[in-house]
Amino acid sequence: MLTSLYIDGNSPLHRVPAGWKLTLLFAASIILYLFDDWRLLVLALLSAMAAYLSVGISPREALRRITPALFTIVILCALNAWFTTPQLAFAMFLRLTSIVTFAAAVTASMKMADFMEALTTALKPLERLGLVNAADLGLALGLVLRFVPEVFSDYQAIRQAHQARGLPLRWHTIIGPLMVLTLKNADTVSEAIDARGIRHQASIGREII
Amino acid sequence: MNTKDIVLVALFAAIIVVLGFIPPVTLAFIPAPITAQTLGVMLAGCVLGAKRGALSVVLVVILVAAGLPILAGGRGGFNIIMGPTGGFLLGWIVAAYVTGYIAERMIREDRGGWQQLVGFFVASAIGGIVVLYLIGIPWLSVVAGMPISKAIAGSMAFIPGDVIKAVIASLAARAAYVGYPLLPARS
Repeated sequence: MLTSLYIDGNSPLHRVPAGWKLTLLFAASIILYLFDDWRLLVLALLSAMAAYLSVGISPREALRRITPALFTIVILCALNAWFTTPQLAFAMFLRLTSIVTFAAAVTASMKMADFMEALTTALKPLERLGLVNAADLGLALGLVLRFVPEVFSDYQAIRQAHQARGLPLRWHTIIGPLMVLTLKNADTVSEAIDARGIRHQASIGREII
Repeated sequence: MNTKDIVLVALFAAIIVVLGFIPPVTLAFIPAPITAQTLGVMLAGCVLGAKRGALSVVLVVILVAAGLPILAGGRGGFNIIMGPTGGFLLGWIVAAYVTGYIAERMIREDRGGWQQLVGFFVASAIGGIVVLYLIGIPWLSVVAGMPISKAIAGSMAFIPGDVIKAVIASLAARAAYVGYPLLPARS
C-alpha cells in the first residue's frame, strides 16, 4: 500500500546526493524552456531516458510510472498543435516528456530518508526564523505513515457496515464517519506522545508560555 | 501548534491518502471521472480550519515528492509535481487554506443545519474550485505553452464533478462538525 517508488541500486545517479539531484531537476526544467530547437530537445529527452533506465528499473515499470503523465502531455500537445503551431507543440511534447522522465529518474533513485534529509537542510533557514520545526515535521510524517493502514481498515469496516445493512455505498455517508472515527484518536495519540516526551522539552515549554 | 494539533494534521493527511484508494466514480453526464482525494482537500479546510487543514495537505504533498505513490490511481513522485498538472497539486495547499479560512468565519454552532451546510458548500466551492483553478490553470498554460483561454475552456470539463464534490464535502463536513467539532470559530 505504501511502497516507495525508490529502486534499490548503486548506479551513478543513485550516488549523486539528493539535494544536488533536486537542484539539477529544477534547473534542467527551467533551462529546457529557453530552447525551442527540436534537435536539442530530442537530445534532452534521450539523456533523460538514459538516466531513467540507468537506475535499474525494468523498461515496463519505467513506462507504467510515467504513462498517466504522458497521456496528459499527448492530449495537451495535440490540442496545442491546433491552437499554436505543430512545431511549437512538438517542442513542448519533447520538453515536457524530458522533464517528467528526468523527474521519474530522480524519484526512482532517491531514498525517502535522503529526500527528508535534503528537505530538512532546505528548511534550516526557516527553522532559524522559528517558522517550522523539522523535528515536528518528521514526527507528523511518521504519524501519517503509521496511521494510513489504520484509516484504511476503518474505511473497510464502514463499507462492510453499509453492506451488512443493505445501504448503498455513498461517499457522504462513508467519509463523515471515517473522519470522526479517525480524528477521535487525536487525544489518545497526543497524550501518548507527550507522556513519552517525544517532542523536545523546549518546544513543549514554549507552548505553555 | 500543540501536540494534539500536530496529531490532527497527521491524521487528516492519512485520511486524504486513504481517499486516494477509493475507486473513482464515473457519471454519465460528466466527462471526467470523480476521485475522492480532492474531496479530502476541501474537507481538510472544512474540518480542521485554515492553518491545520493546509498543513495536512502539505504533508501529503511532501510524501508525494518523497516518492510515495499515494495520489489517486497510484501516482506519485516528482514527475507529478513537475508535470503540466503540478499546479493543481501544489494549489491544494492554498485551496485547503482558503476553504478553512472561509469555513472558520461562516460556520457557527448556534446556526441551523441548512445554514451550516451552505457555509461549508461556499467554503469548499471558493477554496476547492475557484482558488484551485486560479493556480492550476495558469500553471498549465505556462508549463504546457497553451493559450490561457484554451486552458480555461479545457478545465471547464472538470467543473461539474468539482461542484458535486463540494456538495458531498459539505454533507460530510457537517456530519463531522456535529459528531466531533474541531473547526475554530472566528469572526
